This record gives sequence, structure tokens and C-alpha cells, in this order.
Amino acid sequence: MPDTELHPLGRFAPPPGMRRRRWLDRGFTAGATAAALLAVAVLALVIASVLINGAPALSWRFLTHNPHTSAFGVNTGGIANAIVGSAILIALASGMAVPAGILVGVFSTQFAGSRTARSIRFALDVLNGVPTIVTGVFVFGVLVIGGRQSGWAGAVALAIVELPIVGRSAEEVLTLVPERLREAGLALGLRRWRIIVSIILPTAVGGLLTGAVLAVARVAGETAPLIFTTSFAGPGLSVNPGGSLANLPVTIFDLSESPSPTSHAQAWAAALVLILGVLILSLIARVLHDRSVAALRR
Amino acid sequence: MRVRRFRLSAATILAALGLAACGSAGGGFAGLEGAGSTLVAPLLNVWQPEYARSGGVTVSYDPIGSGGGIEQITARTVDFGASDAPMTPAQARACGACVEIPWALAATDVAYHVGGVPNRLRFSGPVLAAIWTGAITRWNAPALERLNPGVHLPPTRIVPIHRTDGSGDTFAFSDYLSKVSPSFATAIGHATTVNWPGGIGAAGNAGVGGALAGTNGSIAYIAIAYVLANHFDYGLIENAAGRFPVPGLPSISAAAAALTAVPHSGRGGISLTDPPATAPGAYPISTFTYVIVPRASRRGRVIVRFIDWAVTRGQRSGPALDFAPLPRRIVAADRAAAAAIR
Amino acid sequence: MDPSTVPAPDRLRLTGRFGDRVAEPALRAGSAAAAAGVVLLLLWIAATVVNQSGAAVGQFGLGFLLHQRWDPVHGIYGALDDILGTLVSSLIALALATPLAIAISVYLTELAPPSVRRPVAILVELLAAIPSVILGLWGILVLGPFLADDLEPLLRSAFGWLPIFGSSPSPFGVLNAALILTIMTVPIVTTVTREMCAATPPELKDAAYALGATRAEMVTMVVLPGARRGILAGAILGLGRALGEAIAVTQVIGNADQFRVSLFAPGGTLAGQIAAQYQSANPGLGQSAVMYLALILLASSVIVNGAARLIVARAARRSGSA
Repeated sequence: MPDTELHPLGRFAPPPGMRRRRWLDRGFTAGATAAALLAVAVLALVIASVLINGAPALSWRFLTHNPHTSAFGVNTGGIANAIVGSAILIALASGMAVPAGILVGVFSTQFAGSRTARSIRFALDVLNGVPTIVTGVFVFGVLVIGGRQSGWAGAVALAIVELPIVGRSAEEVLTLVPERLREAGLALGLRRWRIIVSIILPTAVGGLLTGAVLAVARVAGETAPLIFTTSFAGPGLSVNPGGSLANLPVTIFDLSESPSPTSHAQAWAAALVLILGVLILSLIARVLHDRSVAALRR
Repeated sequence: MRVRRFRLSAATILAALGLAACGSAGGGFAGLEGAGSTLVAPLLNVWQPEYARSGGVTVSYDPIGSGGGIEQITARTVDFGASDAPMTPAQARACGACVEIPWALAATDVAYHVGGVPNRLRFSGPVLAAIWTGAITRWNAPALERLNPGVHLPPTRIVPIHRTDGSGDTFAFSDYLSKVSPSFATAIGHATTVNWPGGIGAAGNAGVGGALAGTNGSIAYIAIAYVLANHFDYGLIENAAGRFPVPGLPSISAAAAALTAVPHSGRGGISLTDPPATAPGAYPISTFTYVIVPRASRRGRVIVRFIDWAVTRGQRSGPALDFAPLPRRIVAADRAAAAAIR
Repeated sequence: MDPSTVPAPDRLRLTGRFGDRVAEPALRAGSAAAAAGVVLLLLWIAATVVNQSGAAVGQFGLGFLLHQRWDPVHGIYGALDDILGTLVSSLIALALATPLAIAISVYLTELAPPSVRRPVAILVELLAAIPSVILGLWGILVLGPFLADDLEPLLRSAFGWLPIFGSSPSPFGVLNAALILTIMTVPIVTTVTREMCAATPPELKDAAYALGATRAEMVTMVVLPGARRGILAGAILGLGRALGEAIAVTQVIGNADQFRVSLFAPGGTLAGQIAAQYQSANPGLGQSAVMYLALILLASSVIVNGAARLIVARAARRSGSA
């Protein structure tokens, strides 16, 4: 990038108003840099708040014990049931959304015409834009009313949030698979399903995984789909998705609204657990993404 | 490029889809599930382990507010709903064959958070109505100064806090204000959710406590158990006899004792607010809190046993949490009503 | 590509007719079903919301959108306060986030040294990964007290004559919600904007420099005009995110039933109101009215996201054909 100082015109024939323009340029550079700094500073501030406030309440006991709640809801135990419940919810949701999302990507890139593919992409984008609170209300209306809140209902709600993320990224990565690989398959006399299953999907597996990890990172912190579907959990450890499952986001939500400083400390500690999980997943997705795209583009 | 072998067989896909398809299959839960009133939640938190120790089933409870309790039992998503407000006729119709049984006795008080104001400030019903309707906006308003001679009140702006979830505390508080202030009754009225003309809203007694703790100049109506547990400054409210009873077991019990007639239990509510002047020690915003269950359900027997335990043995845990024991005639009516559940 | 890494024919095993006869149609049908499922799911969500809001829609009609009162006691419901609260909090967030996102994009594509570029880009993206409930927690316990004790008194003493800074400072309020929403939308707007800025043809940039433009002039005359559509689309996507956020907003906005002009005052949004009321609304009309809020929210987010995607698609096609 040419520096203005070294610019031929800047050095040899300063046009009128150059000084003003140079100052404007410096101001502009400073402003843009400050904006980037501000964004990073806010991230640092939030993470630092969670770390500083959460670390003191974080202990082995906090992670491995179930809540022991006093009369006024102040927990003197831990959040083990919420960690386990969150893991189950995410696993169930991903078990539904990841295969379905990949299939959507397969259809729109391998079978559908370009107009159909565009419509599917649009539908995925619109689904991705449905506010998660509406998703929660929808699943409440369909699965919970007349039945019970359950881990299944929560998982379905999370799966609806995951589906468009997995679908879109599957679609994007599958279009990156080089055409020549498919042609090579055709030249070998393979049928389309064989090409997809044995050549295209294995080639794109890194990218597909990226989408799945991204989706998991996104729903791990989702609260809105869960408050109507799986928030009635008792204090004990439950691994049965037929009943309500405790989970981290709803736990943090409840603790954050409490007046008690003890609850606040625990909200921070639970937030620390959640944020560590989400950030690590996001970084993994990022690395996977770069690697798989690089591999496909090579 | 290295093409790794990765067999994504049709069987894997089908298995995954199968997993997704059985999403609606529900599992059994041996215990009882309830939801509703946050006022009664502390008592249920204590009841849960005690009931389990005395051989009862596991009870799980979600404090989502009384309105939520009524809605959830109407939708039959729980085994019992808990509400400090009796169902309105429309709610009772929607709920189908439901019984509501008073199973605890408590009170709502106002708590405040104002720098430089001492505990136990005095309020009257009309003054509280004026605060929540926005007619009184400063802590040093003349009406407040008249009630608290000798107390220095700052000019801080009053921020009234209310419940956003359907709430029995809202019901008891608005029921009381409607009785003592005709203008409140016509402009706002009483229900589990009303149209407050201003202030901050928060969910649950805990949420209201959180907003109170975080906002200088604020005042909130909160179940007294939460007021005392969180060491909030609280108000003394003038009763019909012109006295300012301290909220607590004696004054709540006095309000319950002033009841002249016990309506047939299991149907309709019993209002304890604004007791008559003949009960000088009675606290003005006392309230029964109810358990609401379907007259007939799959878990009927389990529910009856729990309710029976709650209105008898369970009452012993109340006083430590500022729940007054139920009067004996209410207990008798309760057991009769519970016995009719199938 | 090294031909030796292509799967050898024997390793692929040319499966017999049976596999082809079953697997080929199965994969086609299965994947088509999944794709159709996405569309059906969308329709199902819409149908459920429309269906359950039917009673309120029938009772109040479009007047619901312009009516200000939310009064369960008298069975009167209106969405105007929540619509205004949603618009104000989201638009403030957008007004703060868009210039920031543009500046960050310019920094990342034009100014940052290559070694800094990637880490900063990743950090900005991580901002989007922070769960909203944690931002809400931060809003309650960190941002709220700062606003009530420091920023709002300062704004009020300087600009108190403006009605938007006219009420007493409060930790819970529209300003808190708008700032939290800003944090959420910055990374979304940045992602789209940055892509569009990076897509500026290098010849155009060189041409501007050759004409003697400074870097600032090159960016404002070449990069930003070229990225105009992307910036617009990114901003609209950010708006979609801000409109639909329920949890963090309900944690910090103060959940008042009324809309106030002052940013310090508590307010409410469509999504926040649904979160706060749905479990406990009166059966029948009350619940239906909450669903009507969900219908408004769903319709506006579908419109907003659809518009953003169309703009992105068109911009991409244009830059692709250029």
C-alpha cells in the first residue's frame, strides 16, 4: 500500500490544500483504528468481567455438585446438573439438525436446479432470521401445551436454531468441492449417490464439521428457545430428556435476576463456564474453517 | 489433495433421522411437577426435601409467577399450579374442572432502596396508590413527610417497581390498593397483571429484588419473606384501625383471624387484604396462596397425599420463612376439598 | 492435484445394481425431503403463530399496532409501546453499530498491518459468539451501574434540555438495552461490510492512488461507494438481530409497559414482552395478544432478513459479473 509520504505527487508537487488533506487522512486512520480498538476493548471488557467476577466462585465443587438451594433460591451447591443438561440438549439438537442440515446442503448443491437452490438458500436465511423467542413460543405451542416441558422440546427448539446454520455452511462448502472430482467419478462410471457419499462428502468433511461446530457454539448459549420448553428442572441431576433438563443459559438467566450477591457470583461463574465453552468452540470452528477452505481451494 | 475415506453410509443418516423422529416420545417422571407463585417458592424449597424425607415423592417446582401457574395448570403441562391469586371466573372456566385450595398464608410488603432514608418508613394505602400511579414522584412529597414526622426525606425521584409476570403479589397489592383508593380501582383495578402507568418491571420476587437492589430511589412490592431474607428496608403500612403493624406472623395471623366466614374451600378466593378496623393488629396486605389442581388426573392420588401433608405437617416449616400457619377451619376445609380429587 | 490421491477404482468398489437402485433414489428423496422440510418448518411456524394470534387479530385488527395500552384487567391490548421501544432500541443500536462497523472494516481491509489483521478480525467475530444471556448479565451488573452513576448523570447535566436525556438516571432502561444491542450487532454488520470492502477491485484503488488520492480519499471515493449495498445489507441484518433479541433486552430494559421519550427511562420491546409475558398471560385473549406480538415480530424479521439477503445476493451477482 503506498504511503502518502512516499507518494510521488505528495513529495514533489504538493497540490493546494495538501496539508489539510494529510491531516484529514491521519484523522481518518486514527478514527478507523480507534473503532477497531474499541470493538476489541469491549470484548476484552466483557470477558474480563466474566473472568474476574466468575473465577472466585468457580471451584471443583461448583462444577461437580448439584444445586443445593436454600429457601430463597440461593444455591449453596453447584451447577453440575445444568452442565450435564446443556450437554444432553446440545447433543440431541445436533443429532437432529446436523444430518438434516447436511442433507439440505446435499440436495441444493447436487440435485436441485439453480433456481430451486436459490429458494432453499433463501428459506434457510429466513429461518435463520426467525427470532429465537418465536422459535421457543412455537415449540411450546406444538410440543409442550397439553404435554410437559421436556428435554426433547428444548432440543427440538435448539435444532430449529441450528438447522439453517448447518444447512447454509454445508451448502457453501459443498459448492467449493472442485468440479473435476465429480467428473473423475463420472469418468469411473460411478452413479451420483456414490460420488456424493464417497467423494464429495469426504472431501468436504472439514467444512461440514465447521458448520456443525459453529451451530453448536451458537446454540450452547441460546436462552430464548429454552425458557418455555425446558426451564422447570428440579435441583437433582437428570439425564432423562423425557422430563425438563436443567441447562446453563436458563440457570444464568435466573441467577442474573436475583438480588443476592451470592447468586450474582454464581451467575458469573456459570457464565465463565459457558463462555469458555462457546469461545473454544468458536475458535475450533474458525481453525477448521480456514483449514478446510484452504484444502478445498488448493 | 488427500481424499480421506469417510463412509457416511445411508444407515448412519437413517439412524440419525430415526433419532430425530422419536423426538416426541416422552419419558416418565415419578415425582410431581408444579409451577407458579414465587411468593410460595421459599416454602416449597423447604418442603421438597422434608416431604421426600417423610416418604413422599420428589416434587419439582418452577417459580414462574402465579399467572404462569394458572396458565400452566390450564394447559396441563404441570401436575399442580400455585397461585396467590384465586382464578378469575374466566380462568376457572378455561382450567376446566380445577380445584383451588389455600395451602399457605403470607403477606406482601413494600420495600425500598433510597440513600439516606431509614428502615420502617410509614405509608398509607392511598399514598402507595399515588406512588404507583405516578401522582407522587419524590421521596420528600408532603404526603410522605406528613406520615413520617421528624424523618428527613431526600428529594430523590421515586422509581416504583412492579412485576412483569402474572403475580399473586401484584394481585394482593392491587386488590388492596383498589379497596383503599377508588381512583386506583377505576383506573387500574386488580388482577395478577395490571397496566401500571410507569416504573420498572421485573420478573418474579427475585427479579423485583434484583431491580430494587440495583436502583436508587426505588420502591417495590415484594413478598415479606423475600424482604426479610434480603435485608431490604421495608415500610409499615397503615391498616383500617389507623395503626402501623409490623409485617410478621402475629399481624398476618390477626388478619386471617378477622375472617368472618370461610367460603367453601376449593372454589373461589378468600381476600384477606384491608381487614376491618375491628382487628387493630391485622396486617393490611396478607394473602392466602393456593394450589390449583385438576379435579381428576392421572396423578390425582399422589397430589392428594402431597396437599394433605402440606396443609398439616408442612405448615410447621412456615414460621421460619414468615408464612403464618393456616387457621384450623381452613385446614379442615382444605382436607375436605383435597379428598374430592381423583 | 496429485493424481495418486484420487480414490482408485478398486477402493471405490463399483457396487452392483442393487445399491444404485436403492441408494440413488433414497439419497435424492431423503435430501429433497430435508430441503422441503426447511420450507415446511417455516410455514408451520408461521401458521402456528397466525393461528394462535387469531383471536387477538380478530378482536383488535390492525388497530393493535397503533394502540398504546396493555391492560389485562380490562382486556385491552395494544402493541404501540412495544413497537416504539423495539424501534428506538434497535435503531440506536444500528446508528452506533454501523459507523463503527464501517470503520472496523476499513481498518481491517486497508489500514491494519497484515499480522494484526487476522487476530483482530477473529476477535470481532468472537464478539458475536458471546451468549446474549451473558451480555445481559454484564448489562445488569456492570453496564447498568456505570450508566446510572456515571454516564447518564453526565449526559443529563450536559444535554438535559433534550427530552431524550430528560429523566433521572436508571440502571435499567432503553439506553442500556440499546448499548447491549450495539455490542451484538457490530460483529454482524462488520462481517458483511468487510467482505464488501475487501471485494473492491485493486485496479480501482490503484487508479485512485495514481490520481493522487490520499488513503482517506481513496476509501471514501472508491471503497465505500463500492461497498454501499453491502453496508446497507449488513445494517439491515444487524437490525434483524436487534429486533429479535429477547433475553438480554428483558434483562436490562426495565420492562415498562409504556414507551417514554427519555432513553434513561425503562421501556419494553416486542421480543422482551413475549419473554416476560407468555408464560403468565391470561388464557384466551391475553395469550392471543402475546402471540400477536410474536406475529408482528416474525413478520418484521422475515421482511428485514429477506430484504438483506436480496440486497446481498444482488450485490454479489453484480460484483461477480463486473
